[in-house]
Amino acid sequence: MAYSTFNKVKNDPLKEPMFFGQNVNVARYDQQRHAIFEKLIEKQLSFFWRPEEVDLSTDRKDFMAMAEHERHIFLSNLKYQTLLDSVQGRSPNIAFLPVVSLPELETWLETWSFSETVHSRSYTHIIRNVVDDPSIVFDDIVDNPEIVKRAETVTRYYDLFIEMCSQYSLLGVGTHQINGEEVIVSLSALKRQLYLTIASVNVLEAVRFYVSFACSFAFAERAIMEGNAKVIKLIARDEALHLAGTQHMLNLMANGHDDPEMVAIAESCKDEVIEIFREAAEQEREWAKYLFKDGSMIGLNAEILSDYVDYITNVRLRGLGFEEIFKIRSNPLPWMNAWLVSDNVQVAPQEAEISSYLVGAIDSNMEDADFDDFDL
Amino acid sequence: MPVPQLMSSTVTINEVQSFSYGEEFSLLDSMEEHQIPVTYNCRGGYCGLCKVKLTSGKVNWVQDSLVTLEAGEILVCCCVPDGSISLAT
Repeated sequence: MAYSTFNKVKNDPLKEPMFFGQNVNVARYDQQRHAIFEKLIEKQLSFFWRPEEVDLSTDRKDFMAMAEHERHIFLSNLKYQTLLDSVQGRSPNIAFLPVVSLPELETWLETWSFSETVHSRSYTHIIRNVVDDPSIVFDDIVDNPEIVKRAETVTRYYDLFIEMCSQYSLLGVGTHQINGEEVIVSLSALKRQLYLTIASVNVLEAVRFYVSFACSFAFAERAIMEGNAKVIKLIARDEALHLAGTQHMLNLMANGHDDPEMVAIAESCKDEVIEIFREAAEQEREWAKYLFKDGSMIGLNAEILSDYVDYITNVRLRGLGFEEIFKIRSNPLPWMNAWLVSDNVQVAPQEAEISSYLVGAIDSNMEDADFDDFDL
Repeated sequence: MPVPQLMSSTVTINEVQSFSYGEEFSLLDSMEEHQIPVTYNCRGGYCGLCKVKLTSGKVNWVQDSLVTLEAGEILVCCCVPDGSISLAT
């Protein structure tokens, strides 16, 4: 079915499914089939922030003073985050917009993707601050085999779905000859790939991102790279919202509150979705080994991070109504919670536990002679 | 003249612990006030970590939940009790 930027057929968006119904025509939000997406948009808009608001001036000094293996951990983690947001800044739009059928969901996809571009811009802000030549960091994202390996797995489902949608858009449902090969375009195969792609996006944002957040916050737990942690705290707040979005899409499909055909498709995808989670957890544990290959840092090592991978994977599986697949029950990084609290309340910097704000306010270099003028 | 009595809401958790809700912003705040361990992240109704089962009684929502909830599930960061309630964590 060819995509139309303004579908001229009069339709009732309250009766359309989330995807693969009619293309959206009028962008209206006075009525919604799934009001949750409108709420997510409002929340996301209320979260708006700009990377430049965060002062990173002490981070450079902290970075210079770090041991070599810690710099490797910090930069590799940042490269991984840059890769993930490079993907997320464009892919929800490219993959899902051509097949979305609800105005509120269409706008949520755009709002979601836009917020990811703010994240991407914030990595440039951070990298510019800590290294003299940002290209050394950015270029390595496509050169470093460990990162390239990650890129392949986080984009696989997206890329196949986009390819299948292109064929659907150009040729429609049926059997076609493409480059001398027979290709069958079917709506049920497309819907199946859609479900799996959204599941893999949920894994990207709800598991992979959180593992990287743990590394960012571990530095700040030692009162270094606090500006970076402040940026990541804002990113984490957005990501919590995004993962709620993909969880909703998957749950609406599986529970029969959307396209009735999706119930059976979701059921048939169950094992594969669990496998996507298991594979991602395995890769994240491997990544933890790479991060800490030259040495651990205070408060975090490959083993604890791997335990966190298992813990967060279980939490996310529960969010989708699936059984847990790992033994771990309690959070091995309880201090993460303090960083993930993202209350709407704006905390004044002097009240927050960000010690960089206090640097210069207190002179901690005291000697006995400083008390000479004191009389009791 | 009879003095009007303020209705206090008793919150019972897993049938073993109970406390009186004291007009805090949310059940989560009240649980923290009474030092009852509770898992949470966002306090804004979208991370879903403070999800519990409401086994009896009624609650009022003070902010919207943005996560999928099954029948009988509530987010303690988004609700206050309306009379006495029981929760299962």
